[in-house]
Amino acid sequence: MKEESVPESAEMSSRKNKPALNFLLLSAGSMFTSMIIAGFLVGYVIDLLFDTMPIFLLSCGVLGFIGGMMKVHKLLEKMSLLDTGKAKPTESETSKHD
Amino acid sequence: MGTVEYIQHHLTNNTLALNAEAQEAIDKGQMTFWALNLDTIAFSLLLGALIVFVAARLGKQLESGTPGGFQNFVESVLDFVSTNVRDAFPGHNPLIAPLALTIFLWVWLMNFMDLIPVDLLPYLFQLITGDSHAYLKVVPTTDLNTPLAMAAVVFGLILYYNIKCKGLVGFIKMFLFHPFGKFFVPVNIVMTLIEEVSKPLSLALRLFGNMFAGELVFLLIALIGGTLAVGAAALFWAPLQAILDLGWLIFHLLVITLQAFIFMVLTIVYLGMAHEEH
Repeated sequence: MKEESVPESAEMSSRKNKPALNFLLLSAGSMFTSMIIAGFLVGYVIDLLFDTMPIFLLSCGVLGFIGGMMKVHKLLEKMSLLDTGKAKPTESETSKHD
Repeated sequence: MGTVEYIQHHLTNNTLALNAEAQEAIDKGQMTFWALNLDTIAFSLLLGALIVFVAARLGKQLESGTPGGFQNFVESVLDFVSTNVRDAFPGHNPLIAPLALTIFLWVWLMNFMDLIPVDLLPYLFQLITGDSHAYLKVVPTTDLNTPLAMAAVVFGLILYYNIKCKGLVGFIKMFLFHPFGKFFVPVNIVMTLIEEVSKPLSLALRLFGNMFAGELVFLLIALIGGTLAVGAAALFWAPLQAILDLGWLIFHLLVITLQAFIFMVLTIVYLGMAHEEH
């Protein structure tokens, strides 16, 4: 009885989490590119403020690239959880890790 | 008018300079801050007024028993938006659903202007003004200012709810310790700043990019008739243009709806993230 109830609740939970997650996945590509653009933008402003062109422009661009990769990776990780039928960890599970 | 001039003419806004320097820049074909894109403002306000007018009219004629066709349609749109808000937004905030509905309807209507034949409204405008070179860009979302302004409003709300829900200390903590922990504070500040700035950027650039590209394809299809359909060749090119235009129009109907939908849903998701407490 216990074995049957676990996948059912996981499926329900994944279905519940799915809509919002899918919309985020739709924008994974533009999120990545906009992170890089935002990186260069923030770097450009910092460089203007401190008159250090192009140190922050380049380093923030690289940071934006890394951040973009991390964001997309995080999103895709959640997608693989959905694909295998495993639900996203519940709030109590995540709080244990934190 | 050559093909390049035709496309450039269609993609140029009717701009009002607010000072002499701005006028000089516009005359040179440069971008300037002190200028108003009159066509963008006029069309977006008109479409916004249309939503208000139809909603007010419908509000007076609501039927509780057997609603008519239009009321049914509006109710289904409302239901669709509220379902999405329920799915994507944790907790309760009475502002989110009306905001999402406004964004969806307004962006969809502004995008819909793309489906009106590209030369129709500019031609009528040129007839009315008597100026055969008058500029008129009818799709507000193909002007980067519109999506950026909408994204800036959403960004303002994200910041407001971040500070309201997490508190000023929680918000500052988010900048200091996210995402690499307490040993990389300077990197964390820059990284979180980039992450926050990228939200409105991705919202605006996605909508602008899709609509601008769609408009450009319509212009290129229109050029088939304008440049190639001469004499007997028109028997081949004119039907081809009609078929291509119809095909792109049907596909673009999907694109405009999807773009309005994504803008709305991402607004809900970003505001939902701002409401989550750490």
